[in-house]
Amino acid sequence: MKTYPGSESSAAPADAPALLPARRLARAPSIRRKLVLVMLATTLTALLVAIAAMIYYDLRVYQRALLQDVETLADVMGQANVAALAFDDPIAARQNLALLAAKPNIISGAVYQARGTLFATYNRRGTSEAFPKLPEFEGARIATREVIVFKRVIGGKEILGTIYLKGEYALGEHLASYLAITGVVLLMALLVALMMSAWLQATITRPILQMRDLARDVMEKRDFSLRATNTTDDEIGYLAEAFNGMLAEIGERASDLERSNESLEGQVQERKAAEANLRRAEEELKRLNAELEERVAQRTEQLAAANKELESFSYSVSHDLRAPVRAVAGFSRLLAEQHEAQLDPEAKRKLGIIRSEATRMGALIDDLLAFSRLGRQALQFTTVDMGELARMNFETLTAADDVRAPELRLGTLPPGRGDRSLLAQVWINLLSNAIKFSSKKERPTVEVGAISDPKEHIYFVRDNGAGFDPRYGAKLFGVFQRLHGPEEFPGTGVGLALVQRIITRHGGRVWAEGALGEGATFYFTLPRSESDGAV
Amino acid sequence: MEQFEQVEILLVEDSALDAELTMTALAGSRVANRVVWVKDGEEALDYLFRRGSHAGRSDIAPRLVLLDLKMPKVGGIEVLKEIKSDARLKRIPVVVMTSSDEECDVAKSYELGANSYVVKPVDFDALAEVTRQAGFYWLAINRGIAV
Repeated sequence: MKTYPGSESSAAPADAPALLPARRLARAPSIRRKLVLVMLATTLTALLVAIAAMIYYDLRVYQRALLQDVETLADVMGQANVAALAFDDPIAARQNLALLAAKPNIISGAVYQARGTLFATYNRRGTSEAFPKLPEFEGARIATREVIVFKRVIGGKEILGTIYLKGEYALGEHLASYLAITGVVLLMALLVALMMSAWLQATITRPILQMRDLARDVMEKRDFSLRATNTTDDEIGYLAEAFNGMLAEIGERASDLERSNESLEGQVQERKAAEANLRRAEEELKRLNAELEERVAQRTEQLAAANKELESFSYSVSHDLRAPVRAVAGFSRLLAEQHEAQLDPEAKRKLGIIRSEATRMGALIDDLLAFSRLGRQALQFTTVDMGELARMNFETLTAADDVRAPELRLGTLPPGRGDRSLLAQVWINLLSNAIKFSSKKERPTVEVGAISDPKEHIYFVRDNGAGFDPRYGAKLFGVFQRLHGPEEFPGTGVGLALVQRIITRHGGRVWAEGALGEGATFYFTLPRSESDGAV
Repeated sequence: MEQFEQVEILLVEDSALDAELTMTALAGSRVANRVVWVKDGEEALDYLFRRGSHAGRSDIAPRLVLLDLKMPKVGGIEVLKEIKSDARLKRIPVVVMTSSDEECDVAKSYELGANSYVVKPVDFDALAEVTRQAGFYWLAINRGIAV
């Protein structure tokens, strides 16, 4: 497809300058008027030049003809008056002159004698002209409105006299009539020119005006499907074709642009929709967050209430549950002591069972309370000398006479960060376990040591005691979970659970390794950095 | 209620069984011959301030108070507060003997001026031992002052 210059730029600017050419078109003199003016000017100029030339030529011809005419007349008059002059007959001369009446343009005439005296005169009817006293030189001359001719009358070889003729030189009248004719001709010419312009409009201006209207319609309606209909073979036809081509091109581009605009708009819409979705999601998130916060606050409140309840519950347990157990234990003891005589050995044995079970119950209650208290107790972090703490508690635990103290192998322990009393509880529980479970060995040994890595200290307590089946290793740290019967090794099953709880609250971990009959190793970790240790 | 000329120990205990066990332990240890048992805080205060049913009491103040905390009507904490805010009675050593091992009870008791805090063991032998030691210390070892 051909690209017409400016077709791109005319498609691009959309609204602002659209009406400008049309308006300018309306203000400027239209082609039609220009054509009419040109035609009229051309016609007028041609006519005026032609008429002026004609008038000039015609006036010259008229002047010469007039002079010739009057001279010829003077010649004729001279011939006619030869006799009259020769015979000195003024009457005859007068009669001859009277013939001039047949020529109305001759105003006056006269015959002079050779001497120069006036011989006979003629005046046109109604006029009384004065005659020159003496005849002038032969010839014709033009005065302002008159033609004056002097002619010698020759008879033989002798000048007999002079003929004088004065004729009308009517140049003004002549001119006036010419001008009148010119005016009529001009008027007619103008009429013809106007008719011509009307015809021209039909053949030239109208297609152009149609193009103009089409262009204006296209501009105003933005309708690029309009087409010029006049497809003649001349330049205007070519212009119309080119214009149609241009419109097709522009229309195509405009629809392209529209399509791309539409797709762009679609994208914008999609984007807006996505943004709206995002906003909705954000609001939803905010709402959920608020809800969550509210729920957390609620739960915290519930938790605080539950904690409070638990506190009062365990308080009651510690006080009210102990009293009956203590009574059972105490009175069975009193019964055994104070009424010994009435009791046979079997009764004593059974009373002993009651008493020891009541005592165990008391221990269970105590451990359970300690375990529950641990969850509520606030931790007081200090740097604790773990080696010293372990050694001290080992000595305390083995101080009693009835305890068979194992050999203690105490390694170098790094200081730990934590609550001293709770960490002491950890050592007590782990060491007492080690002492307890190794007590039946021939050479009971308890090893305490530590391994450090950049993140944490790993402390361990190893014994060469009863050990445990690794399959049940996970159960070790559960509350009331025991891998040995109370007859084999006494205990409530709370100790390791307590250890785990304390270490967890310090941000550490606990685990155990061991095999049945080959001893056990209990590990616990404490974080190295202070901030990691805080719970 | 038996009246003794010189009451050595005032036992404040709402549980009759606990009271009997405690008194049995005290009797067995022979640290104190004369023990008065009152069954709650109200009676304890009546006894100490000689009012109500104890208005006409002639004997002088006890040398030691064994005080339970959790009691109906007037609790042990209240009794402790009354004793320790009385210019004369506050000289009597008060040993709080309770089942409660709760930190808050221990703290509160010391705050109010308890002279000792003993958690009653469940086992009778242990209870007897604790009671005997406490009585022996406060009555025999400790130098008190007559109230």
